[in-house]
Amino acid sequence: MISDDFYKNPFSEYNANVMDSGKILTYWCSPFTQIPYAAFSEDDVYRDPMPIIFMGGRGTGKTMFLKYCSYAVQREKAFREEKTLCTGNLLLSYLQKRGGICFYIRIDGPALRSFTGHGVPQEKWDAIFTHFFELQIAKCYMDVIRDLVQNGAIQDESGKNDFLREAATLLGRAAATPDINAIGEIIEGNLEEVTAFRSKITLMDASFEPVKVFPSQYLSFGLVDIARRTIKEVSANMNIIFMIDEYENFSESQQRIVNSCLKFVKPGITFRLGMRLEGFHTFDTISDNEFIKEGRDYRRIVFEDILIKDNDYEQFLIDVARKRLESVEMFRNKGISDISIILGKKADIEKEAIELMANRTDREKHFDLLKYGAAVSSIEEIKDKIRWPQQPLLEMLNILWVIRGIEPERVGESMKEYLEGEKSEDAKKYRMDYVDKYKLSLMFLLASAHRMNKKYYSFPVFSFLSSGIVGNFIELCRRAFQYAFFENRENLLEQGIIEPELQNKAAVDLANTELQMIPRIPKYGDYLYHFANNLGNIFREYHRDVFIRYPETNQFSIDIASVSDEKLQKAFNAAIEWSIIQKKATAQQSTPGSPRKAIYTLNRIFSPAYQITYRTRGGYSEEFSASDLSELMTRDVGKPKKDLGKRMKIEDKDQRDLPFK
Amino acid sequence: MTCLSSEGTRRVNVQPKKLYSQTLIQDRYSALPREWGCFLVAGGSDYRAYEVLRKFCEHGSVFKNVLFFDFCERNKDVDETIYRAYNSYMTLNLKVTKIPCSITDASSCIKSLEKYSKEINCSPTAIDISCFTKPFFFLILKYLKEQIRLKCITVFYTEPRSYLFSKGLLRSYHSSYGALTVHEMPGFPGIDTRCTQKILVVLLGFDGELSSFITEEVAPDETIIVNGFPGYSPKFKDISLINNERLLGTSSELLYARADNPFETFNVLGKIRRSYENTFMNIAPLGTKPMALGACMYAICDPSVRVVYPLPERYANVTTEQCWHSWVYMVPLV
Repeated sequence: MISDDFYKNPFSEYNANVMDSGKILTYWCSPFTQIPYAAFSEDDVYRDPMPIIFMGGRGTGKTMFLKYCSYAVQREKAFREEKTLCTGNLLLSYLQKRGGICFYIRIDGPALRSFTGHGVPQEKWDAIFTHFFELQIAKCYMDVIRDLVQNGAIQDESGKNDFLREAATLLGRAAATPDINAIGEIIEGNLEEVTAFRSKITLMDASFEPVKVFPSQYLSFGLVDIARRTIKEVSANMNIIFMIDEYENFSESQQRIVNSCLKFVKPGITFRLGMRLEGFHTFDTISDNEFIKEGRDYRRIVFEDILIKDNDYEQFLIDVARKRLESVEMFRNKGISDISIILGKKADIEKEAIELMANRTDREKHFDLLKYGAAVSSIEEIKDKIRWPQQPLLEMLNILWVIRGIEPERVGESMKEYLEGEKSEDAKKYRMDYVDKYKLSLMFLLASAHRMNKKYYSFPVFSFLSSGIVGNFIELCRRAFQYAFFENRENLLEQGIIEPELQNKAAVDLANTELQMIPRIPKYGDYLYHFANNLGNIFREYHRDVFIRYPETNQFSIDIASVSDEKLQKAFNAAIEWSIIQKKATAQQSTPGSPRKAIYTLNRIFSPAYQITYRTRGGYSEEFSASDLSELMTRDVGKPKKDLGKRMKIEDKDQRDLPFK
Repeated sequence: MTCLSSEGTRRVNVQPKKLYSQTLIQDRYSALPREWGCFLVAGGSDYRAYEVLRKFCEHGSVFKNVLFFDFCERNKDVDETIYRAYNSYMTLNLKVTKIPCSITDASSCIKSLEKYSKEINCSPTAIDISCFTKPFFFLILKYLKEQIRLKCITVFYTEPRSYLFSKGLLRSYHSSYGALTVHEMPGFPGIDTRCTQKILVVLLGFDGELSSFITEEVAPDETIIVNGFPGYSPKFKDISLINNERLLGTSSELLYARADNPFETFNVLGKIRRSYENTFMNIAPLGTKPMALGACMYAICDPSVRVVYPLPERYANVTTEQCWHSWVYMVPLV
């Protein structure tokens, strides 16, 4: 009997939003220490006076990062780092060493969306939202001040009293006796007025009449100013950083209000925003003719770039998994903490091909592909020359060579020379085609010829599938562990391994679940589902091409500026925002010799659903026009632009070697 | 917090007093009042939409006012069969007052009810929630309590014989299609001040993606699941669990309440509230209508609770097949 305390799925907690400070510290792995990124260091979060925008798809770790930097977690960290009880002075000096205090603020989507409609003009809602936003920041700020007082970090009694008196005045109330809880009550009471209005306005026409209306920056900057003047502990070299998460949920008019704060930050007060890619709905501010601009008003750090760019991504994932595995007694006791061993260090495609063919009654069905390059009457004779049942993938390469026009005898000879390690030109070419170019493509084609599916398993494959989104990797692992615990507990808990079959189930499940979620994406769900599904099916066709003319094609190019339909453009941006497609960091040629263009890939997490490659190989990219995009988003297309007819054209016969990326 | 029992009594240390009742109607329409002052019903294409009205008419009941909520999305640009089903109430020859409304805007419709306050005030008042979307009947009940000052209302509900599963039993039920946006239920924003923690109670339904979306948006510190059990059919509770597997893995508790009993849901929510005092409690009523009714009663009773729901791009026109039991609940609005 295994108790809950002894075993739990190490990957069951995947959402940083629901983690407390302790869990965040336990699971924390800094993407910036693992992956050198010259343009940014963790210190910048606390010290850089310029606002910073952290962008990334769902699950890239933005929230984890912002929460890690927040006051609550840093305070916990300061306490943990001190062997003895951390005093207020030590906490203060820890924060001063950091260079700033980060205030984490998240207003959820349902609340943000309630500031509109019900017959109230939008400009009135904007004023109410500004008031509400200022109060939210004030609440967050006062909570931290209260905590610093309680922890003894703020000891200056007369300074504190001056602060409280002035804060009360700022809030429109005269404070008879300075009391930090009373200030908190004033703020809470003001927020409740907003809530009461939001409730009442749904049933009847009502007006919002608070005791005092707070315009933009009145409290957010005002309280900080007062604290700086009055409390000596918070005045010295300590930046005040407001971190607003999930900024993409703010409406256009709400973003205008917050953008204004970004535009006019004051010395010592700045902002960090967490948002999805393409999460800005506007760059405007509330002032006419003023807008925010990258480089001038803010810096942008893209999380997916950081995670994808470097090969150390795999090491980062291993570290993330290790912390989770070590937090479960069962694995910690047995020293099972390396996810690359649990999932396997490499996918053994040759073994998979042999297993795929085992016990098949139509074992030679893949030889039917010979009909695309040889007379049907000669197929049996050709088979005898190129058959190699010990390894079906070699047979597949032999078939490919034959249908590309090479004499069957020469094909058979080349294979034998390769197997015997000879150095002939043919053997070298054979080796290059098999090992460097086509092995994975041949596996997809073999599976397709037998109407079977290729499996997705091993640590590198899970890493590829996760597409730089650590949340995807955690979810893949969660599902794999779930299956393993249910179906082969002994292997998991005793041997510390999960069979490829179960890993594959997890990968397929997640791909399908993610696909099912697409139609539910706000505003553009239907468009995006068509888009993802069409891309998947088009790339699937490339993987079924018997001539493997464009191996492992899973990317495309489009000049999105040429799309005049605003809805399509927005839908395309939403595809990036929701990481359905991912933009490559640098422009590339879509075909050898063509001009460089922005290249996009279908998120590889969907690969198992379409039986396409789990890696991005580069090389050929499908080129789409504005009208193609319209079709892809509104109809079932599913056909590649290239003619993948069953006859080989001369120019298609020579494929270039392409590195994996 | 008051605890309601399904026998219709309040568990306090005084003489038990009947506050409400839940009755399976079957063919006992004659045991119910023959005359209704006001009856609120939603237009719909499901067969059960007018089942209660139909049965009442067969038993010769009299309706002084029938307020018919006429949903533009259900009645326009739909195919002939659906159109006919939607308008089949006309064969009952009732004098109805049509209230034009749109699924996406419950608030405007409810505000327009002021014009009909005379009709609504004509007791006894009843509502059939079978085909109302949840935001509508939540807001109607709140309106009746706060604006009309009703103390109690009779609520009818007809269970479907089955739900429509287009491609297999386990994973193909969808009550809605297209893009989803998670909203606060109009009129139920809750009070999040003075709370440091946020919990989400999901009344489980068949659509797994709805609960995932809501959980992601609300981002609660803890999630508690309430599954409808026993359900209308034994398999239903399992369909809910299978489709919400992802949520189950991250929730802290799995509780049960009878799918057809709003008072049990009310009590379960009260129990959760007592275990999680001083938290900002969110309820996502994704399960059956009676469970949602329980959530509505609870949220009216405890305004600190927020109700959240997913607003889809479009609802399925027909989601159920035929009728099963009809229930009548006496719901206190205090």
